[in-house]
Amino acid sequence: MDTSCIKRIIYTSEELQAKAKALGRQISDDYRGKHPVLISVLKGTLYFLADLTRNIDIPVNIDFMSIGVFSGSAGNSRTGIVRITKDLDTDISGRHVLMVEDIINTGLTMGYLIQNMRARQPADIKICTLLNNPAKRLVSLPIAYTGFESSNSFLVGYGLDYKEEFRHLPYIGEFDESMI
Amino acid sequence: MPVITISRQHGSLGYEIAQSLSAQLGMELIEREKVIKEWMPEVADKYQLHLLAESPGAYLKKSSGGIVFKEFIEQRLRLFASENPCIIVGLGSQMIFRSDQAALNVRIMASEEKRAERLSRKYKLNTQEALKLINAIDKRHKRYISLLYEADWADPSLYDLTINTDRLSIKNSLEAIQSAAIARGLLSRNFQRSGIPAGPSLSEGSISDSNGTAALTVEQEPSAGTAGEIPEAAPPKNTPHFKHPAETEFAGILDMYGIKWVYEPKTFPVSWDAEGNVTLAISPDFYLPSFDTYIEITTMDQKYVTTKNKKIKRLRELYPGININIVYKKDFASLVSRFGIKILDNAVAQQ
Repeated sequence: MDTSCIKRIIYTSEELQAKAKALGRQISDDYRGKHPVLISVLKGTLYFLADLTRNIDIPVNIDFMSIGVFSGSAGNSRTGIVRITKDLDTDISGRHVLMVEDIINTGLTMGYLIQNMRARQPADIKICTLLNNPAKRLVSLPIAYTGFESSNSFLVGYGLDYKEEFRHLPYIGEFDESMI
Repeated sequence: MPVITISRQHGSLGYEIAQSLSAQLGMELIEREKVIKEWMPEVADKYQLHLLAESPGAYLKKSSGGIVFKEFIEQRLRLFASENPCIIVGLGSQMIFRSDQAALNVRIMASEEKRAERLSRKYKLNTQEALKLINAIDKRHKRYISLLYEADWADPSLYDLTINTDRLSIKNSLEAIQSAAIARGLLSRNFQRSGIPAGPSLSEGSISDSNGTAALTVEQEPSAGTAGEIPEAAPPKNTPHFKHPAETEFAGILDMYGIKWVYEPKTFPVSWDAEGNVTLAISPDFYLPSFDTYIEITTMDQKYVTTKNKKIKRLRELYPGININIVYKKDFASLVSRFGIKILDNAVAQQ
């Protein structure tokens, strides 16, 4: 596989595993006796969710969501509209919800999801994100667990992609944006 | 000539009363902005004007011509008042004309609760924010009088008349001031028809005569000074009129995510002049009620962003509970290009 467009490795596989382990333990302690629902947003969280949940030693449910952007109808909206393309299979009413995300930048996507989840009246909602970039944040979010504070670099690997490529790299690397 | 000096607490309707009085009596209104812009350049350079706008201590400094700025203002006010019937808002005028028989010194006040209520309406602040603002501005007023005149601006003995506007309207207050001025012989009873106050003149720098026409002293409600007047809160609109194309586009992006927003719902005063008048305020572009977050969009060049950053920093210091995020030019361009909004290139290019 050609990885010449990866400028450098930012987080090694070992570092990611260690972080997933630490977060898993913390979540186990915080949610003991609460039987939380972990909701993952496809597809970037694929590996993080797998590693995280295997380090959680309390009962949890896992569910997935997917969202997509649809273009505006009849030309009356240039920006289109965000819609859920894969909804939850679990009823989260009254449940403790932990949203699991790969990276949060502006927070608009997570903001959309949080609004949607709140309407379903869970007991509470918190967020666990592997990477957090608060410098770009527009929406204040209830982030309870952060793996790493990320920079503005374009990152790929461990679920993060560039045009659906590089997701399966075992590490997170900085993508050479000049290649874009 | 009669002089009415008006000292006022922030949110007491003092400035509105001074303006109405000026219009009703045909007496010129003298306020800090006029003094700074029209009089002070005679003795102060640009840097000194900046200091005078910021710090009461600057009024105790000497100009290059050797006159202390405070004394210059006192002389000019006395000279003006000797030739023109006038109403003076703030400027320590209750101290300058304290012993003048042709002056009526008025203080306009109101309870903290009432003032907070008014400011909440005016700036769309919550009660806690309004109280904090009142406290900050009151401190400025107090410091100005304390530093320049070693007096307590709240001392009732400094005033001939104190009006509490908790339950008295502007009209009631005008009547009370006019009655006091007439009783003192400073206004004639037919002033409303002629618009010309009666009574003796004030002499420059000293008490004129025992029958002196009153100079009413009124302190000014905060005005926006060089930053422009702070607009009264606009009534809620169904469709806001965005000031900049970038705001229109950003609203579109929020709509895209179904994130509720309100356009410019509040104005936060962030700076005051030496006397406590609001000189700088910021109205964040958007408020996201679901996330209790304000968003300020800037598509300006970097040199202008520095000023905006300072305003935001100040806002965060003054209102620590406020969540506010800035969308910079680069981030904005990145955000909109993500959604392929071509028009935004033009929006970004502007300013």
